[in-house]
Amino acid sequence: MSDTAALVKIEGLHKSYGGVIQVLQGLDIEMKAGDRVVVIGPSGGGKSTLLRVLMGLEQIDSGSILFGGKPYISANGSGKTVIDAKVRRSIGMVFQHYTLFPHLDVISNLILAPTKVRGENKAVARERAMALLTRFGLAAKANAYPAQLSGGQKQRVAIARALMLDPRLMLFDEVTSALDPELVAEVEHVIMQLAQQQMPMVIVTHDMWFAKNIASRVIFCAGGVVVEDGPPEQVLGAPKEERTREFIERVFHIKH
Amino acid sequence: MNYSFDFASVFRNFGPLWEGLWVTVQLTIAANVIGLTLGFLLALLVMSRWAVIRLPVTLFIEFFRCTPAIIQIVWFFYCVPMLFNVFLGSVTMGIMALGLNLAAFNAEAYRASIQAVPREQLDAGIALGLNPFQRILYIVLPTAVRNSIPVLLTNGIGIFQQSALVAIVAVQDLMYQGKTLATQTYRPIETFTIVALVYFALSFPVSQIVGYLERRREAMAS
Repeated sequence: MSDTAALVKIEGLHKSYGGVIQVLQGLDIEMKAGDRVVVIGPSGGGKSTLLRVLMGLEQIDSGSILFGGKPYISANGSGKTVIDAKVRRSIGMVFQHYTLFPHLDVISNLILAPTKVRGENKAVARERAMALLTRFGLAAKANAYPAQLSGGQKQRVAIARALMLDPRLMLFDEVTSALDPELVAEVEHVIMQLAQQQMPMVIVTHDMWFAKNIASRVIFCAGGVVVEDGPPEQVLGAPKEERTREFIERVFHIKH
Repeated sequence: MNYSFDFASVFRNFGPLWEGLWVTVQLTIAANVIGLTLGFLLALLVMSRWAVIRLPVTLFIEFFRCTPAIIQIVWFFYCVPMLFNVFLGSVTMGIMALGLNLAAFNAEAYRASIQAVPREQLDAGIALGLNPFQRILYIVLPTAVRNSIPVLLTNGIGIFQQSALVAIVAVQDLMYQGKTLATQTYRPIETFTIVALVYFALSFPVSQIVGYLERRREAMAS
């Protein structure tokens, strides 16, 4: 696929919880294969919901999402969400709270999905898993259980686990928010590595320094709509919209 | 107090107590086999989305949880043979009554553990492409069963003690032999003290294991 074709095309996306709380109120976002999108915005503005919808974890009220030009998610006439599970498998996600499987050691966490979902040979999967762990500096932890790892290590394992399925898009939902400050860098470093390899990604984060460094594009999301969308220098440095400016000032004020 | 204890007369007649203990151990093991397997099945059924399955199973579980075990045992021994015209021998009947009782309690232990598996774990399973059946098999059940072990063990030693109730319907377990011996030797205090110590000696280590497992689980969760 060329860099200019839309990898993800979100059209008229509406999502509410129980039909009462409107979370996403008509999102239109087009993402190219070369994009590294950072979504910022106030809590409750719909950032995490957007990621969860993209991962196929949520029902939607209306709208549609195309992935690689193919229908991925849509709401049919009777209000049921139709998700193409095959398309979903080309998307990987990392969550705020690691979500490693506590009963499996690191390497088993990594090879579970490839062997069960794709029927990959166990030995082959283990080899790929070891290569990934080595790359992330975790080879020595292959047989450790999640409870024996630090938060930063857990999150790096979670990233490696998602990469085992060769995703064409990675979603990161506040992956450093639960970490102790001194562990944030090691996780961001791994994501930076992926960025250098041109992995398309959507990142929700409160870390403005990280956003500035990794984003090719920043979307400011508030009240369930896209308020501002542009290169990081614009959205973070010289926002056009008043609401973006207020938010950026507030966030940087807290940080400094 | 001028009662003089005479434990020797109990120790002289320890043979029947050994036989009784063996019956009690058999009752406990068999009841636990039923409790662990049937309880698991009941837990899955009670979470069914279909009321036709869910409601009768709920009723079954609640019946055993909400009536005294002694009534269940008596009822089993006298009513089941009359209603269904079957009597399978007193030990077998005892195993059935205790096993069904334990299954009901274990079903609740399994259910609580299954429902306590965090929603996020399932989200991770979806994100990794696992289908609903695989999510249950590889994510929910291993965690849930592990987390239910302390309660299952507690219920298991509970039934070891409850098994003493079958003595009232003439199953010759440890309690029954104790009662007989107490009458024969005219030494009820000594006999029941020793019987109690036997129950204690076997339950206490298991109880300690439960405590250890719970502490370890807390450490793992933090």
